[in-house]
Amino acid sequence: MSTTTINGRVESLPDDPEALLVDVIRDRLNLTGTKLVCGSGVCGACTVLLDGEPVVSCLLPAGATAGKKLTTIEGIGDGKLHPIQKAFMAHDALQCGFCTPGFVVEATAFHRRWRAAQGTAIPSREEIAAALSGHLCRCGAYEGIYRAVAAACAGRFDGDDPIAPRVEAYDKVTGLARYTVDIRHEGQLEGVILRAPVAHARITDLDLAPARAVPGVAAVVSLLADDQMVRFVGTPIAAVAAKDRRSALEAIAAIKLNREELAAVIGLDAARREDAPVVFEKKDRKRAGNVSELNGAPTSWKGNVHGPSAPFSQKGKRARRLLAEAREACDPLLIEETFRVSTQQHACLEPHAAVARFDGDRLTVHVSTQAVHDTMEKIAKRYKLPRDKVRVIADHVGGGFGSKGSLGVETIAAIELARAAKAPVRIAFDREEELSVTGYRPAAELKLSLLPSVQGGLKALSLTAFADTGVAVNSMIAGLARLIYPAQAKELVDFDVLSNLPPGSPFRGPGGPPMAFALEQAVDEAALRMKVDPIDLRKRWDPDPNRQRLYDWASGLDVWRNREPASSRSGRYRRGVGVASGYWLYIWQPGSSIELAIKDARIIASCAVQDIGTGTRSVIANTVAKAFDLEPQDIEVRIGHSNLPEGPGSGGSRVTASIVPPTLLAIEKLKMEMERTRARPPIAGSNAPWRELIAASPDLVVSARRPPDSKAPADIKSPVRQLGLMGLVFGWMLRNFNNIVVGAGMPSSVQVMEVEVDTWLGHVRVLNAYVGLAIGKLAAPTLARSQAAGALIQGIGYALYETRETDPSTGQVLSASMDDYRIPGIADMPRLEVHFDETGFDHVPGGSVGAGEVATVPTSPAIANAICNAIGVRLTEIPFRPDRLVAALKGRAAA
Amino acid sequence: MNVTSTPAQAVAELRAAGTDLSERRRSGVSTGPLIDIASGRYGISWGDDGTATLGALTTIAAIAADARLGAAYPGIAASAQGIATPQVRNLATLGGNLAQRSRCWYFRNPGIDCLKKGGSNCPARSGNHLYGVAFDLGPCVAPHPSTMAVALLAYDARITTERRDGLTITELLGDGSNGRADHALLPGEMITKIVLPALQTGEHATYKRAISRTHAEWALVEVCARVEIVDGTFRFVRLAAGGIAPVPLRLTACERTLQGMSANAAVIAEAAKQATSGANPLPMTGYKLDLLQGLVRDILERLAA
Repeated sequence: MSTTTINGRVESLPDDPEALLVDVIRDRLNLTGTKLVCGSGVCGACTVLLDGEPVVSCLLPAGATAGKKLTTIEGIGDGKLHPIQKAFMAHDALQCGFCTPGFVVEATAFHRRWRAAQGTAIPSREEIAAALSGHLCRCGAYEGIYRAVAAACAGRFDGDDPIAPRVEAYDKVTGLARYTVDIRHEGQLEGVILRAPVAHARITDLDLAPARAVPGVAAVVSLLADDQMVRFVGTPIAAVAAKDRRSALEAIAAIKLNREELAAVIGLDAARREDAPVVFEKKDRKRAGNVSELNGAPTSWKGNVHGPSAPFSQKGKRARRLLAEAREACDPLLIEETFRVSTQQHACLEPHAAVARFDGDRLTVHVSTQAVHDTMEKIAKRYKLPRDKVRVIADHVGGGFGSKGSLGVETIAAIELARAAKAPVRIAFDREEELSVTGYRPAAELKLSLLPSVQGGLKALSLTAFADTGVAVNSMIAGLARLIYPAQAKELVDFDVLSNLPPGSPFRGPGGPPMAFALEQAVDEAALRMKVDPIDLRKRWDPDPNRQRLYDWASGLDVWRNREPASSRSGRYRRGVGVASGYWLYIWQPGSSIELAIKDARIIASCAVQDIGTGTRSVIANTVAKAFDLEPQDIEVRIGHSNLPEGPGSGGSRVTASIVPPTLLAIEKLKMEMERTRARPPIAGSNAPWRELIAASPDLVVSARRPPDSKAPADIKSPVRQLGLMGLVFGWMLRNFNNIVVGAGMPSSVQVMEVEVDTWLGHVRVLNAYVGLAIGKLAAPTLARSQAAGALIQGIGYALYETRETDPSTGQVLSASMDDYRIPGIADMPRLEVHFDETGFDHVPGGSVGAGEVATVPTSPAIANAICNAIGVRLTEIPFRPDRLVAALKGRAAA
Repeated sequence: MNVTSTPAQAVAELRAAGTDLSERRRSGVSTGPLIDIASGRYGISWGDDGTATLGALTTIAAIAADARLGAAYPGIAASAQGIATPQVRNLATLGGNLAQRSRCWYFRNPGIDCLKKGGSNCPARSGNHLYGVAFDLGPCVAPHPSTMAVALLAYDARITTERRDGLTITELLGDGSNGRADHALLPGEMITKIVLPALQTGEHATYKRAISRTHAEWALVEVCARVEIVDGTFRFVRLAAGGIAPVPLRLTACERTLQGMSANAAVIAEAAKQATSGANPLPMTGYKLDLLQGLVRDILERLAA
């Protein structure tokens, strides 16, 4: 048996030649700071130092490390914080934290080389990007990472430990933060799901007995629906729990099944054909999944097409007539275009995962989830358990972006296996599952007609969206065009086109980016034709007060004022500047509650909310600390456990607006309680009266629920009221079925992008991004900026790189690895300027609303408009890959 | 993802650093016996005649960082620098880079059969071949994945295995007509070293790949170029390209066009059109011809500057 030295300790290596280093480190040595993400050497989350050099442990056979020296994140800094770790904390170079250990390990190696060769010189962005090119961060913390690495190399973190704006940063930069995939109970089994290899079939016979006979197998359960149907490749069929993953894989391979294969239909175009095989027969339509967080309006079906759904059309017939007349008259201002957006995967770095454990009649489930409270309720309901017997825990969540909002099969299978095996069971999806069956933002075809009036107003708009939703319904893209740019008439129609592909799901601002991609390009085109500055035209057409202020800011940017027309550009590299606008709804969740306690002279804030990298802990800590003249680190924040007071789900940008108001209320109550119970007055002249009062206070507990907003000023409209009767119905449904309230005022973003197009190699680079955001007061300013940067980089990925590719005949997802599903890397992050407009939400207690979604809405059209400004060609299909760029350029030359 | 069908595979695979193989073991695409390369040649040595010999186990990072190699064979060093990521380059070997398997997403998907997995046809040809070949030389439409093979082709390198000596890249990888294999090595045959011939002085060389992001992406198209310019005239031009065919290709029509011509932008722009001579792209890969022409033009302009 050979050995290796890990973090200074000699450890034996397994004889198994198949053992990979990452599994030895994580599973045998329990050094869970090292993360397994892509399994193909692309993302760098598993990076460790091998004799001082960074290597990917996910591909490295463990035996190859014999006699060598390994350092994992746990061994970085020799018990103290390394300057890189301190810099990451200080510069908020992290969000969910799942990629952070890999980045930190690599950056320490760069730091060592740099300091040896360059002293305390500051490395350039290009040098940092090249050194960290083997790492991917899905949250988009790249801006902070650039700053952190540069500052650490320059020697600015050689001294004391810093104060981090993110309260859990220490745990994330040291690898101490435990995610669901890191949970290890005594006797824990590993669960694996058997998935359908074909896109459409009926399982006629399922024999689980051979799997039960495999040594090491503790439980096997069926996951088939009662109709025994497979409707996409990857449909869950059964799950196995065994002593280790290899035994579980052997067991699922032993399962015998017979199937009656049915004709399948794959994708938007095929599914709309007259003779297309039908995915859901009439009786089965209720089995379709839901791509939305909300309930859809009732509508009809025709074959695989679900729709039309047009609740937010406004004088739809009139819009159609106005547009037909303009078409007839060859109105030069009439803009008609078909746009296509691609499927975007969430690509969370922590996969969907759950660990279930029964202790008598009590069930504890660690879940990588965006909603601990809601998941607890759903589990209790599904398994008919009392709510106080179910505990859902998510201390840290490695990204969600909308894909971890509902009760998923990983949780259901883990619970059912744990119950059957009478032992704790973990299920963690592999990367192929993560990139194929965990949901996505649906691709869509968007047919748009926009008609300005002769007077320069907006006369009519028609937008029809066909969304490629797989086996799900309720996409809303076109309908979102109602709440921006009022017109005389709008026809806004949504269709879902179902096919034998996995179901779509909510993704950061569902429907928003596709809608904006079409509409904002059309507005840009209108400005070109009308010979009006595109920002001026938006100012004219878009009365929203938040965006009006952002338009003024954008107009004043040098990059905008110095912009030149496309006709002035030539040569290989062409730069262009584009603008786009976007909004999201301000929503909050009633019932959201905070408990504040003083215990042993320390303030504890508790809420069953979770932090998926968005900064929820810090928002609570900042809010409380500010009220008591304390530092955020002084506040103990307890979240991520469903047995705490009810908290909101991390979706719809609702968290900040749901938890800050009750926190403020609880603060007032606590202060009153302290006043009431105070034994003696504060020391006269003390400069830290609250600190002393807390130190002297008896233990106290108060709690508060989310209070309603105060009445908004007249110019701040409620979207629900703007939508008329349908809006009131919509608002009522949201409140009663989804437990959310749509408040007054619109979180808004106006973005200006400067791009450079390499016309020879079809390469687009975003050089500079200017993000204007109106989201009220900032509850945690540094973290709000991080959210803006993350939303931007995901928008850049959507615009330039990301697309799920499927096989048109089998329905297999081809892009199910991080090699082939391309998310932006650090070098793809532009220089960023964020402008926060902090007014507009004073009617919300605390004045803060969420940041997460709105900032990703206008990014892709702003890039499209910038490219059009650079090359004089409007690209109508994303992502703008090299193949599309060179074709578009050629098309123009040919014409 | 876990499905019931697993492809049959019996031939033992050699494992150097495992940066290609480990992924296929995890996914279940590679299931046959495994032979670890217990010992082998590592490092760069120099002959009196100026030839460089690279041990097959030399890491890509070592090749990328070697100053003498970078000076003598800049196209080799630049190619190594363009591969994968720092943490992969620190592990991956030259021999493994040459013998790695296809990156085709049908081949890599354990749920799909294909020629390279013993199947009867190429599903990418009739399916989604966005990253496929633009020079359609055989039944399989996946481009060869090895960047070092492109560079070694440009330098007329010779490959030695345990059993054979002096193989050219073409002899090592075949002519692209065998859709079932990524190389023409015999079962179990191990590459031991690579010899780079001595060069005339005065040449310039470099490498570049066209990708969608800035870093760390498999090449859509890649070119390694060597030129010698005397008195403003191309005396020697060597162009090798990857990402476009089942094997790396020499762009001989383009080389011939440039021979003896003035090394200026107009000549280069015109000659770059010849880079795609003989191409027969698939329905989804026509863009690779634009990229190839653009890349050749880019590289030659830089080398001529």
